[in-house]
Amino acid sequence: MKRRTLLSAAAALGLGVAILPLSAFAAEPLSVLLPPWVTLPKEMTDKYTAKTQGTLDVQTLGWDEIRTKIVTSMMANTAPASATEMDWSWVGQFGSANWYDDLSGILSDDLKKDLPTTSIFTYDGKLIGVPYNNDFRVLIYNKAHLAKAGISQAPKTPDELLADAKAVKEKAGVQYPIGLPLSATEGAATAWYLLTKAFGGDLFDKDMNPLFTDKDSGGYKAMAFEVQALKDGLIDPASTSLKDVEIQELFKSGKVTFDVAGWAGNLAVYSDASKSQVAADAAAALIPNVDGKSRTIGLPGALGVPVSATDKETAHAFINWMLDPETMEDNYLKLGNLPTRISVLEKLNKDGKLQQGDTLIAQAALVEPLFAEGTPGWYPEFSAAVATNLNAAAKGQVSVDDALKAIADAAKEAQQ
Amino acid sequence: MAQSFHKKRAFLDREARLGLGLSLPIILIMGGLVVLPLIVTVIESFYRVEPMKPGMPFVGLRNYVNLMVDDKVLTSWVNTFIYVVIAVTIETLGGLGAALVLHKARAGRRWLLAAVILPWCLPPVVNAIIWLWIYNPSYGLLNGILKAAGLIAENHVWFNDRLTGLFLVAVVHAWRMLPLTAIILLASLQSIPANLYEAARLDGASPWKQFTTITLPLISSGLAIALSQSTVFAFNLFDEAWILNGSSIGTRSLMVQVYMSAFQNMKFSLGMALSILAMIASLMVSAVYVLRVYKETRFD
Repeated sequence: MKRRTLLSAAAALGLGVAILPLSAFAAEPLSVLLPPWVTLPKEMTDKYTAKTQGTLDVQTLGWDEIRTKIVTSMMANTAPASATEMDWSWVGQFGSANWYDDLSGILSDDLKKDLPTTSIFTYDGKLIGVPYNNDFRVLIYNKAHLAKAGISQAPKTPDELLADAKAVKEKAGVQYPIGLPLSATEGAATAWYLLTKAFGGDLFDKDMNPLFTDKDSGGYKAMAFEVQALKDGLIDPASTSLKDVEIQELFKSGKVTFDVAGWAGNLAVYSDASKSQVAADAAAALIPNVDGKSRTIGLPGALGVPVSATDKETAHAFINWMLDPETMEDNYLKLGNLPTRISVLEKLNKDGKLQQGDTLIAQAALVEPLFAEGTPGWYPEFSAAVATNLNAAAKGQVSVDDALKAIADAAKEAQQ
Repeated sequence: MAQSFHKKRAFLDREARLGLGLSLPIILIMGGLVVLPLIVTVIESFYRVEPMKPGMPFVGLRNYVNLMVDDKVLTSWVNTFIYVVIAVTIETLGGLGAALVLHKARAGRRWLLAAVILPWCLPPVVNAIIWLWIYNPSYGLLNGILKAAGLIAENHVWFNDRLTGLFLVAVVHAWRMLPLTAIILLASLQSIPANLYEAARLDGASPWKQFTTITLPLISSGLAIALSQSTVFAFNLFDEAWILNGSSIGTRSLMVQVYMSAFQNMKFSLGMALSILAMIASLMVSAVYVLRVYKETRFD
């Protein structure tokens, strides 16, 4: 009897071990690789499960780390996840390497019309990323600081921004009113691109020749503006070591008056009293411009499916769920990620849920892609040169002239 | 014929087979995870491996030539040599000091040992993030302490000065790696027979004389290992430089440059060529240390 019991137990154990992988496979969650600002709360993942019957295995990695993981995995012909973040700046590299599927087939024509930023993720006619996070830049400011300094409206030109910052420093007691990252990071480079537009310039001509080395160019004036504001004590000297997300923390704690390259979606976070000390005072304005007509850049985030992904149908369903109006609303209200669908943006504004909605809608209409013809494959190399040389200029290690010349040389070299 | 048969039998005898069997796992692991990737890396460094471009043509020494004329690469070489000098000096002197203290300690030695080892147990990224807070120009501990002590009047942005930045990055690396040196040297110290010191004391030798004529020569093999590993790890410094100061050229190490070439610019063959050069340089410097230390501290 004892022997029979033992044999039965062994057989059951063996069967269990044999069945386990099958059952595990049947219930396998969809692997998704996302950046920290898209850490989906349980409430949202529960909604995903309710709608699709599936579950998610969300891996959250920093922006740089996601890119490294994708590159490493794809070089080894393995998918890092079934669906991954696709930044606008990776499109040229990942598109030319043929690492991502064309997703144009999973979107209806109506949906495509509702997603104006799809062109940014189109490489060689293929849509390799479906935009779900509408990052464009606005000027975010602390209206209480301006009021203390006797300023009634947000600055409309870079000169006004400088004058207001000086007034706030003197009258409102804000030690460093301008928030701009100057570390050797992508966030610092992005802010310089934005200011280049603000000073009426562009980075390249149609033949991709650099346009920022001339003293009268927008790019030159933008970098000179940043370095001078730092020297004048309007930007925290610590900014040479601070990333964009750290500048955002300074704004939230009331130590900075202007988040010059503010993420549009961040207004939801800045206005949330549980996350920000300046919730009642955060306001938005159009990006100042020397011409008085605002310009800004669109840096949206998308979701892509690697060519070597195993569970592509589920990945497509996940992407469609992320585009669902309810998910997009949740993504904005809970995480501060602005919807990419025009209809969802308009509905949020109509319902009064879009913080500084009118300003955001007005700025959204002025969004320009950084590269009209699509992000080139050499962008990351160029961008690294911008970050490194801007950082060196801010530290006083090189002049603005030398920094811009080095960036131009790096751009030409990267294009070869 | 008989001699050859004898040799064959000797090669295949039981002990040899056992030795071979026991060595096989490590041979396979090292072969598969170190030697094979190394060979592939060396070969591919002579090709153009860039996923953005079609094909993988043979380019000969072009990758190596490009590295020789790249200012950023040259700066990262200089930075790395500075890191090696600072880190190896701190680790060796600090590690020797810590090992001597641990060796002499009577009470609470286990706790002291645990405290010394702690930085080495932490992941390098965690270590670097802790020091990022310490060096933070706005609310960092370093500025706070120096201000409280009246040594500085205003907060310093430590990484604005290149040499200060290099020193601070090297300190973080040394802080993490010093325990390994200390443990290696402690093991060497513990292997020295106590009667040698007793004899020296009877002969009237001073503590310094005992250290230079007994301790130092007898820990020379441990010192050579410690110096060698310190050098190799300092050459491979990445996390500390990347986390503390990003891609900033002032503190960019060779490994950061390799990462940027391979993973950021997706020029893998360039990254491979640079990593091969870094490996050769680190082995050469280590070999010089090992031979010199070994030669100078031997009795014979």
